[in-house]
Amino acid sequence: MKSAPFAYRRAQNLAEASALLREYGDDARLLAGGQTLLATLAMRLSEPALLIDINEVAELKGVAIEEGKLRVGALVRHVEIERSELIARHLPLLSLAAPHVAHAAIRNRGTFGGSIAFADPAAEWPACAVAADGVLVLSDGDATRRVKASDFFIDLYQTDLRRGELIAAVEFPLPGPSRRFAFAELSRRHGDYAIVGLALAGDVVNGKLADMRIVYFGAGNIPVRAFAAEAALEGTQGDAAALAEAVKRLPENLAPTGDLTTSGETKLHLAGVLLRRTLPSLFNNERGR
Amino acid sequence: MDLTGEQLIAAPRQRVWEALNDPQILALCIPGCEEVVRLSDTAFEAKVLMKIGPLRARFSGRVEMSDIHAPASCTLLFEGGAGSVGMAHGQSRVTLDEEPEGTRLRYAAEAAIGGKLGQIGGRLIDASAKKMAGDFFGALERQLNPQAATAPEPAKASAPAVTRPAAVPGAVFAAGWSGELQRLFWLALGLVLGALAARGLPF
Repeated sequence: MKSAPFAYRRAQNLAEASALLREYGDDARLLAGGQTLLATLAMRLSEPALLIDINEVAELKGVAIEEGKLRVGALVRHVEIERSELIARHLPLLSLAAPHVAHAAIRNRGTFGGSIAFADPAAEWPACAVAADGVLVLSDGDATRRVKASDFFIDLYQTDLRRGELIAAVEFPLPGPSRRFAFAELSRRHGDYAIVGLALAGDVVNGKLADMRIVYFGAGNIPVRAFAAEAALEGTQGDAAALAEAVKRLPENLAPTGDLTTSGETKLHLAGVLLRRTLPSLFNNERGR
Repeated sequence: MDLTGEQLIAAPRQRVWEALNDPQILALCIPGCEEVVRLSDTAFEAKVLMKIGPLRARFSGRVEMSDIHAPASCTLLFEGGAGSVGMAHGQSRVTLDEEPEGTRLRYAAEAAIGGKLGQIGGRLIDASAKKMAGDFFGALERQLNPQAATAPEPAKASAPAVTRPAAVPGAVFAAGWSGELQRLFWLALGLVLGALAARGLPF
């Protein structure tokens, strides 16, 4: 099936893209990688009047260390993250998660910022952004504001993006030497959206866990941080007793809604399975690798 | 597909019932609702712009009430569609029970979904339906208790109130309950549309 007719404009910079967004409002959609948008257009799930192509906007590109932070541009493709030496060295959580993002063909085109702006509840990058304490850089072409990833996702497909705003980049604090990461997800076929997934971060100091981030995706309308489980593991060696307590306390933060194939109870169970399976790797690897 | 849920509304049952049957109030409360037309005392037609995730489509639907026991319960039969996107039909049983703190509204809907929405798979149907129901009840609560519920709400793009003629809460009473079940139909419709919307997500 083909898309309904739409106009196409190629923005050269942020200001131009933002001005078009403001002018057309709901009738315009941003075209970045197009890996979700074009499929839904072809299915005529939406019929925007205008697509604003932002692929040439230089401000949105590139991975760099700036002012002690790792900056990942919104237009960075999934495959760039997968292959980036810089990211592997400084924030291996993203390197661990990248292979789970859909399939290779989609990773070649789909963008980091696009996935975050779309905010699918089962997508990897929103959860990683929360687990790695990412800060979103939002621009309306004029002013820039920064919003913590943990505050950005509001509800199902609903974010803090305002009219005329784009995600310019995501900034991550550079993790200290004792920071460890792990990532896992369960899906029926590799590349599918996860049934449940988990992004883990924590300091391992003298064999003990500190400052944990346990962030689930596919288990709620937005990435869900399991605060109670984090508290249960804080200061422990991640031993069986602590892990059991952490799993027991998952329902304090997690109340997954079922879908056609997986009930909420099953998802909750799988969340515990993922934590049990994934936590040990914080101890036995070098920077999550 | 089955959808069930309940919500405590801080208002007397009669008032909730009347509100649920007032097309004007329904139009204010249904996320994305653009128009409500009363076809008869027990039938309504509505146009709703669904905006959830990748889906942005205009649904039009028809709701008919039956088995009406005002102000306690009714059954809503609904059918609707959005062109090539998909269609849905089904029914929903709605009951209102008096409680010390207000009125407890329970709904149990069963719906069949067809077209592309039906094919794509239902990864997020339940979540979408719940969100729509939550948005609906939040708006309803604000309509019934404007002073109590003016707590800062996150600005919701879906809140249609701005562009709509203001519905004075008093109008609820004036409207009587001839259209009582229509509201509920809308609710059911909203739930179903939400469910449909959710289907669009699994790419």
